[in-house]
Amino acid sequence: MGRVLVLLDGSRMSYAALNAAAEIAARTGAEVLGVFVEELNLLRSAGYGFAREVGSSSGISRPFDPVELEQRLERLAGQARRTLAGVVANYGGRHTLSIARGSVVDEVLALVGPQDLLVLGRVGWSSAPGARLGSTARGLLRRSPTSVLLWCERQVSPQGRVVVFLNDHDDANRRAIMAAAQAVRHSLQPVTVLLGEGADIPSDRLELIKRDLGVAESDMRVRTLPATDPVTISQILRQERATQLVVSRECALLRQPGAEQLLALLNLPVTVTP
Amino acid sequence: MPLPAPLTEEQVYHGCPTEKLDFITTDDLEDLERPCGQDRVLRALEFGASMQAGGFNLFVLGPSGAGKHELVERFLSQHAARQPVPPDWCHVFNFQFSDRPEAIRLPAGEGRQFKKGMSDLAEELRTAIPAAFESEEYQARLQELQEEMAKRQHQGLFEIQEEANRNNIAMITTPAGFTFAPMRKGEVIDPEEYKTFSDEEKQLIESKVEELQKKLQQTIQQIPRMRKEVRERVHALNEEMVQLTLGGPIGELREKWLHLPDVVAYLDAVREDVVEHAEAFQDSDNGPPAGLLARYKVNLLVDNADTVGAPVIYEDLPNHQHLTGQIEHRAHQGNLYTDFTLIRGGSMHRANGGYLIIDARRVLTQPMAWESIKRILFSGEIRIESLERIYGLVSTVSQQPEPIPVSVKVVLLGDRMLYYLLSHYDPDFLDLFKVEADFEDDLARDDDSYELYSRMIATMARALEMRALERDAVARLIEHASRLAADQRKLTAHDRVLRDILSEADHWAGQSGADTVEACHIQQAIDEREYRASRVRERSREQISRGIVMIATEGEEVAQVNGLSVLRLGASMFGQPTRITATARPGKGQVVDIEREAKLGGPIHSKAVMILSRFLASRYAGEGDLSLSASLAFEQSYGGVEGDSASVAETCVLLSAISRVPLKQSFAVTGSMNQQGEIQAVGGVNEKIEGFFDVCREAGEIRGQGVLLPASNVEHLMLKADVRQAIAEGRFRIYPVSDINQAIELLTGMEAGDPDSSGQFPENSFNRRVADRLAKFAEVSKKRDDDGDVNSKNGGRNSD
Repeated sequence: MGRVLVLLDGSRMSYAALNAAAEIAARTGAEVLGVFVEELNLLRSAGYGFAREVGSSSGISRPFDPVELEQRLERLAGQARRTLAGVVANYGGRHTLSIARGSVVDEVLALVGPQDLLVLGRVGWSSAPGARLGSTARGLLRRSPTSVLLWCERQVSPQGRVVVFLNDHDDANRRAIMAAAQAVRHSLQPVTVLLGEGADIPSDRLELIKRDLGVAESDMRVRTLPATDPVTISQILRQERATQLVVSRECALLRQPGAEQLLALLNLPVTVTP
Repeated sequence: MPLPAPLTEEQVYHGCPTEKLDFITTDDLEDLERPCGQDRVLRALEFGASMQAGGFNLFVLGPSGAGKHELVERFLSQHAARQPVPPDWCHVFNFQFSDRPEAIRLPAGEGRQFKKGMSDLAEELRTAIPAAFESEEYQARLQELQEEMAKRQHQGLFEIQEEANRNNIAMITTPAGFTFAPMRKGEVIDPEEYKTFSDEEKQLIESKVEELQKKLQQTIQQIPRMRKEVRERVHALNEEMVQLTLGGPIGELREKWLHLPDVVAYLDAVREDVVEHAEAFQDSDNGPPAGLLARYKVNLLVDNADTVGAPVIYEDLPNHQHLTGQIEHRAHQGNLYTDFTLIRGGSMHRANGGYLIIDARRVLTQPMAWESIKRILFSGEIRIESLERIYGLVSTVSQQPEPIPVSVKVVLLGDRMLYYLLSHYDPDFLDLFKVEADFEDDLARDDDSYELYSRMIATMARALEMRALERDAVARLIEHASRLAADQRKLTAHDRVLRDILSEADHWAGQSGADTVEACHIQQAIDEREYRASRVRERSREQISRGIVMIATEGEEVAQVNGLSVLRLGASMFGQPTRITATARPGKGQVVDIEREAKLGGPIHSKAVMILSRFLASRYAGEGDLSLSASLAFEQSYGGVEGDSASVAETCVLLSAISRVPLKQSFAVTGSMNQQGEIQAVGGVNEKIEGFFDVCREAGEIRGQGVLLPASNVEHLMLKADVRQAIAEGRFRIYPVSDINQAIELLTGMEAGDPDSSGQFPENSFNRRVADRLAKFAEVSKKRDDDGDVNSKNGGRNSD
């Protein structure tokens, strides 16, 4: 496995993602690469004399000044550096911070390699549960050459399970199972394999999956979804006490029109494999 | 005055004829239901236990060991069995004021059912409510609500974003909010490039941005209100779910307890409380918090489910907490917590509707316990408060349970002294304890009482699970009971002593391998008890026999007589002779009581000496002056003297000192005397006589020794066998005397002599010798006074 990339933007959720990233890195011996992007659109918009900033909670409108914005970004970058160093030091690993200026998606894609893992917090106002996914996350999920872990902080239930969703695309399935196997190795939780509506799985393939996941017979359960609408899926995930979902981006689930809504609804970490 | 005849063997002992006892062993006798001879106590108990009016609580007074507790408990148990069972009481959580638990009264036995019902309900709530929240229906409705919330929260933002995009304006997220800027192909236009735009274009863009900003501001400012609305709707949904889930179980309970409005009101409060805390039940992993469910528990304070009749409770440690109950605390990580389930009832709660028996001395020695009892009896309700709170030592928040109305009959057991002290010093006492049940110390001994007393002994023996007593053993015990009562016509009612003797006799019977207890075992028990207590007595006797303490039992001496005293040590007492001596010389009519001067004499003794000095003056000095300076002393007595039982001996010894007539030392004298010279009864005669008898025996053979005692004391005699034997053989004599002259004649062998009409005593009589000697003293004194007068006159002249 390559590096663990984590996108830092100074928000609380991004630091939660950093924590998760550092933990994964420590487990796999990978290096943590923090990515702090000074977004070009943001810098440009501050350059307009008429630009104002409307507070996201208060709704109060304030002047938006490029000098002040530069200072704020600098401060955030400094904070990101300190936090990165502090968090990684807790787990004992290597880290680098990359500060770039440009489009977030482009800058991240320029840095990420196929062996890396990309960790994102839900950013901006999409961090609230139920909110839609931001354009950055959307773009990265769609274009990332590697697995993307969409991190979300939640209470860890001791009886939880790792849920992996499989479809009929073998390569995608393999990647999803590998990602799930990693999660299982770490959490030692049982696994539920979810199959699409009406799908079935031959027993010899099931054996292979079990072997790849590295779990005992009793620790694996196979369920077929009655329907693939977001509400049913979130219900089933709740029933399974899912602590993590692994899904391939090729999977029908994410290709449907409601896919983003589903991701937005799920209040748990989701790994999307290429 | 004729001299009295010495007492016969029959007069000094009232034996129990076995023919009066119509049985072979005590197994033939039936149990005695009520103790004999305690009619006064039983009537008082009957009255006090039945009397409904307030303040008619009982004080049962009698000496310790009289069997007060057994009698009262037995009586009250029988009495209470016919009375109704009092209700149950429980404390429940007060949902309005959480620190004031409510009290609920339920018919006896229903408290348990209520407690179980509520415990089942709590258990059901624990699972049923989370299940309701897990249900598909709830989840779907919640999902709808949440989606609606999300939609409403973000719809406005999205609309603005869409509108901005349509107008080629980007809505950019900043670290603290949003901003707008013109864009092209998804990218914000460089401000430098923007400068090249025409003024109309700029105008158009800027006005659109301003419009969007305003819309955004409005939308954001509406979000909190929307969130609140959604929260309220979620809460309403939760309440609806809980109401539906609760409907069944609470409805059933409500139906069951419809006859008790308090319970129904409480159940309604529980329903409201559960609905209010609906969210707390949602966590299906851990279940609702334990603290929440604990509030629906029932603290059953008084459970009368198994009570038959009214309760009779004996509180053996009547302190404040045990009486009024207490609020316990649970320690958790160094902190103390309490709640209504830790309220514990006291004996007052348990005795509510019945009887509470308390030992008066114990309750008085416990801090605040007496005040608490009075407070409860006055107010008619029990308020559970800790002592530190009453004293104002703590002010931390604690529980203040609703007071429980109480109707209890308190029965105090105590000795008489306590009763009289409380009556005198506590103004509330007689208001609260109006019924006095006074135990008899002794029972009358007549022909009818033999059967009852035998049955009482049989009952006791069976209660002690000991061997049956033979008829002669019962007879011996009856005789000993008379000795304990110190009266031939009484029997002791002292329960403890009789029980102890019976137990000991059974032990000795067992040792000797007998199947029944015989008279010899009773005698052995009596003798062993006496022996065990005899160390001091034997030391004292030894000192007499070795001559260290000087007592003469033979011959004649002037101004010396044997008095008799009684020493009480613990439960045993014994008598012993004391030498009393006197001196007499001319003086100014005073008798010096050396014991009093040395502060070794008590007030009664001083009174007796004053009486005897006035007796001397009136009998011998007539109308003249009594010219006497006399002194009286108890020789070798260092422990103090009290009582008037030596006044006959003191009179005799003083008269001997005056008249120089010797007194027979073979006699010991006891008795008190009045100013007329009449002899009055005293106490402890048996011990005194036996004490002197033993001293005489140890000094040599008993040969004509004896004791002079008041004639009115004869029926108190119950002397032991060896004394009776000596009396029967004429070796030891007891003379009952009723006048001082009889005592004088017996002690001196001279006629005492009565005065004639002119007040003169006959020639050669003892009294004449006394009168003559006193006249001589008067002459001497007069002469001395005259000389003194002359001297003082001369002195006066010389000084001129």
